[in-house]
Amino acid sequence: MRLFGFALSCSFTLFLSCLPLVLPAQQRATLSGYVRSGADRSVLPGASVAVPALGTGVTADSTGFYSLPLPTGRHQLVISFIGYQSQTRELNVARTQRISFSLPEASNELGEVLVEGTGTLEQKLQTTQMSVEHLNARDAKLLPALFGEVDLLKTLQLKPGVQNGGEGTSGLFVRGGSADQNLFLIDDAVVYNPSHLFGLFSVFNADAVQSVDLYKGGFPAQYGGRLSSVVDVKMREGDAQKIGVSGGLGLISSRLTLEGPIVKDKGSFLLSGRRTYFDIFTRQINKLNKDQEDFNPIPDYYFYDFNAKANYKLGEKDQIFFTGYYGRDIFGFNSPNGFNFDFIWGNTVGALRWNHVFSPKLFLNTTVSTTRYQYQIANQLDQFGFSLSSEIQDYALRSDLDYAFNDKHTLKLGLSATNHRFNVGRLSASSTDGSLNIGSETIYRGQEASLYASDNYKVNDKLQLDYGLRFTGFQSGTDRFGAVEPRGAVRYSLTPKTSLKASYALMYQYVHLVSNSGASLPTDIWYPSRQNVKPQRSQQVATGISFLLGQGKYLLTNEVYYKWAQNQVDFRDGAQLFANEDLDAEFLFGKGWAYGNELYLEKKSGRTTGWIGYSLAWTNRQFPAQRGGTGINNGKVFFPTYDRRHNLTVVALHKLTERINLTASFVFTSGAPTTLPQGRFLLQDVFGDNVTAVPVYPDRNSYRMAPYNRMDLGMVYKLRPKRGESDLTFSIYNAYNRRNPYFIYFEQVEDEATGDVTNFRARQVSLFPVIPSVTYNFKF
Amino acid sequence: MTSLFSLASSFLTRGARRGTARVALAVLTLLAATGCNLQKDIDVELPAFPSQLVVECYLEPGQVPRLTVSETVPYLSSPEPRLLTNVAVVLTLPSGQKEAFRFSPGLDTLTQKVYTHIGRNALVAKPGDTFTLDVQDTNGRHVTGRATMPTVVPIEKVEWKFNDKTAEERKAYLLVRFQDNAATADFYRLQIHADSISENPNRDFELDDRLTNGQLVTLGTSYRYSANDTLLVTLYHIDQPYYRFLQSVDGARGANGNPFAQPAAIQSSVEGGLGIFTVLSYQRRTVIIQ
Repeated sequence: MRLFGFALSCSFTLFLSCLPLVLPAQQRATLSGYVRSGADRSVLPGASVAVPALGTGVTADSTGFYSLPLPTGRHQLVISFIGYQSQTRELNVARTQRISFSLPEASNELGEVLVEGTGTLEQKLQTTQMSVEHLNARDAKLLPALFGEVDLLKTLQLKPGVQNGGEGTSGLFVRGGSADQNLFLIDDAVVYNPSHLFGLFSVFNADAVQSVDLYKGGFPAQYGGRLSSVVDVKMREGDAQKIGVSGGLGLISSRLTLEGPIVKDKGSFLLSGRRTYFDIFTRQINKLNKDQEDFNPIPDYYFYDFNAKANYKLGEKDQIFFTGYYGRDIFGFNSPNGFNFDFIWGNTVGALRWNHVFSPKLFLNTTVSTTRYQYQIANQLDQFGFSLSSEIQDYALRSDLDYAFNDKHTLKLGLSATNHRFNVGRLSASSTDGSLNIGSETIYRGQEASLYASDNYKVNDKLQLDYGLRFTGFQSGTDRFGAVEPRGAVRYSLTPKTSLKASYALMYQYVHLVSNSGASLPTDIWYPSRQNVKPQRSQQVATGISFLLGQGKYLLTNEVYYKWAQNQVDFRDGAQLFANEDLDAEFLFGKGWAYGNELYLEKKSGRTTGWIGYSLAWTNRQFPAQRGGTGINNGKVFFPTYDRRHNLTVVALHKLTERINLTASFVFTSGAPTTLPQGRFLLQDVFGDNVTAVPVYPDRNSYRMAPYNRMDLGMVYKLRPKRGESDLTFSIYNAYNRRNPYFIYFEQVEDEATGDVTNFRARQVSLFPVIPSVTYNFKF
Repeated sequence: MTSLFSLASSFLTRGARRGTARVALAVLTLLAATGCNLQKDIDVELPAFPSQLVVECYLEPGQVPRLTVSETVPYLSSPEPRLLTNVAVVLTLPSGQKEAFRFSPGLDTLTQKVYTHIGRNALVAKPGDTFTLDVQDTNGRHVTGRATMPTVVPIEKVEWKFNDKTAEERKAYLLVRFQDNAATADFYRLQIHADSISENPNRDFELDDRLTNGQLVTLGTSYRYSANDTLLVTLYHIDQPYYRFLQSVDGARGANGNPFAQPAAIQSSVEGGLGIFTVLSYQRRTVIIQ
């Protein structure tokens, strides 16, 4: 806790030292307020408030709050946000004042919106922030989806520099980073396992989400704790005007959302839930087949999640927000013979945020949050019971202060403190007669703290800098670590429509995911940095150039990055990762480096919108000989499973008529590296009773599977119900039914008559053929 | 039922990750359109793979030692076995005496096991005795191994219990109990054969005493045995290299066909090649389920 004390005292020293700076500027005034949706009064984080004539503008923060310093006088303001109609307002700015804006939706039906206005592309061109992708949940809902399940993370996978973990999975591998190097935040609270169904769907219910920002590099100083990306999810606020119900009936799940005012124009709530229903079908199949000989019942599987959000305006200067998430995946098997098997995992997240506006120039967000990810496996047979569980639980505090010092400097200061509790593994086996009684539990605690300061400095019309420092510390028991993480970004406008950008970020990661394969599983364990498990570290440099083309309708961006990382973790072959009190000894450490070029063309206005992304990238890992072993791959450099040389994505959305939207996406990626057995030998075993071919894997990931390509098609057809709004969303996943490789295995070919092995062959397995789906969505 | 119980027990005995990987694969396979043909043969060009000698030798007190020497082959090569005729095998006894094995390929009629080399005398060994093995071929490949005989761990009790079903559904589970030594790190392998040890064991798993050190250990099966089944229950007390070898073989096999599993290298107990050289120490009980 000393780290906390240090961080807090430093923070408040900085905070207090800033207060004298809150002075009125001469001949200048500051406009501030909120940008909201005109439809339901929800705030619009990321909305742009700009004065084109002055070449200046700001972006609303995560609460929808903006603060724009201007010279006094008459100005023409343009307020814009993706999915909403831009507004132009002429104002006489004579003094510092609060003024909020409401933007009407570009379309008032269920969010099938084609974006008008070019503010967001211009904003993207002008900002110093690079390597960031903004995604609005309303846009993601338009795109075709596997089983019709809208998935924000899968949509992010369509952006350059982001790879998936395999067919249909929602895992993110960003610029050569592994799955555990992404920081997932929902309203500033950490989510440790962002997926359902072994990675097939994300936990973020698009009905409850406002937007997602994915940072691939150039990380702002307020973010830290993971090496490769930040996925900042903002939940939607409920309708502050009227009670509303919306939902959907899909192929595998249904959704329902209830929202409305707590007190009109003062506060609102939103409750959203969804549940899959494979289990209803499989139970019926089991019932029908239960009398058949040799029928193996299909286990139950389903997941559900609930999201809640509430906000309330305490006064002109204070608002509070509550965010909650609870989700579980449940895999269960109850045999009529008395054998029960239950496997349950999921996240629980809660966050309470207080937003206080000291002045139009100074505002503060303080969040207390808790998050827990846990899994439990329990088996029962007659009198014997077995269980295995693990969890990580955090209690966190973070406070962020934004200060618009003048029209050239915007400062951000903040601190965070997190108390981690790692239950690395709890195992028990027991019997009611006491003849069996095994127990094991390993618990670690860790405290993580950070303090940051950054400044966005508009040097002149052409040059803008964003620089900051982040101080971080971590302790677990008597082991302590600390670091200074410099961050910096620069934007130089060559012309009004061309920007050069560059960034640098150093990142530390103090918690590690214990997982020894490229795939993420629910049983992966979070583990603290300790004496023998040093924090992971990475540095990334990136440069880019952006062109605004076609009268501002297109933005063409090219970015080049190089990232190098130390203390990357993996595990020795045959590592015992469960209920192991000496887990430190199973770690192996190595280095990684990744580099690539990302080309991105996007169009956000007109009847046809979308983007084309192409990345050329390399990702490498090397784990030399250590701890008495030969390391990984005998110390030789290897490509991790998510390395892809080429990645092309094309996404198109077309508004055919007022009632019909057509969408299509196409993906092509190079083949995924995989490990295949190169050799085999026969093992007879002790009594020659179990002769089998044993595969020999000399090299890791030395084989590449066939390239992956897939086209998805979608159509949203708006219905005309008597009340409210509704639509039918059609999706065709893998429209041309390509058999993409999921994995390859080798098998022996046997003579049917004699059972003798006659040959060996390689088989390629695909996961999903063409999958059509339809979802009915409604809102009233 | 059986496979799921194996899955359940594997969480304790072989690691939860492997079990979870199997669950994950099962669920995804279920979700992927069942009935569609989602597999196909493909041509795979594997990189050149230099062959290594493979040695398999289980010494057993009272038995004439037999050993099988083979070599690794490219995975997709013809399954025709190739007999290596240029290999010399020497076993060094605890006394230091060296015994050259004869090259005499044959079939053990009891176990139906093929061997290539055979010793000259029945083995005399007691717990704690250490043997070394030296295998060389004329191409310069050289494999060495060293193994110490563990103590015998007696089976304290074998018991079973029937479920409440009737007729064909009436099945029993089996429990095997033994005492672990608190002073040592121990490794075990339990095999349960029906009727004969030359048949595939219907239960076979290895475990360590990490969680059960010094305790009375209970291992069990699911409800799977019928009345009058004859079972041969064998409890091996094995050394750590043999345990690691078994685990790595299990991992290597399991990774072929499961995208969630990380393929692992074979951890041999010999150096210079692949394989296992160990001294067996076991107790076996035969029971009739009644």
